[in-house]
Amino acid sequence: METPHYVAARVQRALAEDERTTELGIRVDVRGEEVYLRGQVSCDERRHQIVNVAREAAPGLRVHNELTLVEVREPGEEEHL
Amino acid sequence: MRELRIAAVADIHLGEDLRGHYRKKIEGIERRADVLLVGGDLTRHGTIPEARVVADELSGLPIPVVAVLGNHDYHSDRNAEIIDLLRDAGITVLDDEGTVVPIDGVRLGVAGGKGFGGGFAGKCASEFGEPETKAFVRHTKEIAERWRRALKELDADYKIVLSHYSPVKDTLMGEPPEIYPFLGSYMLAEAADAEGADLFIHGHAHAGTEKGVTPGGIRVRNVALPVIKHAYTVYCLNGGY
Ligand SMILES: [Fe+2]
Ligand SMILES: [Fe+2]
Repeated sequence: METPHYVAARVQRALAEDERTTELGIRVDVRGEEVYLRGQVSCDERRHQIVNVAREAAPGLRVHNELTLVEVREPGEEEHL
Repeated sequence: MRELRIAAVADIHLGEDLRGHYRKKIEGIERRADVLLVGGDLTRHGTIPEARVVADELSGLPIPVVAVLGNHDYHSDRNAEIIDLLRDAGITVLDDEGTVVPIDGVRLGVAGGKGFGGGFAGKCASEFGEPETKAFVRHTKEIAERWRRALKELDADYKIVLSHYSPVKDTLMGEPPEIYPFLGSYMLAEAADAEGADLFIHGHAHAGTEKGVTPGGIRVRNVALPVIKHAYTVYCLNGGY
């Protein structure tokens, strides 16, 4: 089996460099046959793409989608400086 | 002097898939703020079609919009065209320069640009060794020098630095420390501290935190969308020179 460390590095690079994702802020953890993806994304479509790209970069491993959607709320309280 | 209400956001990373979404959230912004500052990473891949979405979402607002580009906006090597496209849409884009926005007789000075990395005092890269390393550090150094000049030349009542990269570590908290050198540089803070400013706005660190301060005491705010989780945050400036 490939060293998890290198799998994680490859998945992370794929997520950053693949045109479908270009996500730099996704945390990738590999434990045995399991790949965990954590971070924030702006829409469901982008979340799916991240999972797809990760699956391609880590064939045979199980990819867990733990990504959260950033909900852009109406502006809140202002800060006085 | 009148209080200024500064709306700020960064890392909106727009693309065709998000068309219309951000615009909806900023409708009515003129009731809450006098100006909107956008701290880079406007697009995902830095393509022209994405930049058109940005122009459509941010143009035609009743308040002035001032923006800088981020690293994502450079990805397709179309950065110069993106700047032209946004300027044609009425958005002021700062590329290592300053501008004065008049707001009801108050002059708001904004200076900045994309910025760059290198790390923070004590744990930073230096202009030594391989040409690649030297080029990396020199890029930040030259940017900081241009910002310093731009800040000095600003004739304004309030001054704000608008950047994509961070000037301090404070607002990177939550990011892995190993990547700090790619998230900002102390040289950006040094430039602001040398000339003085009322606020330093940046983005880029999606997992960072909102609030920090430069060694010289300038308030720093990381307004990356995943950090502030609102369409924008409003900062009110009351002091002035
Ligand atoms: Fe970003
Ligand atoms: Fe960025």
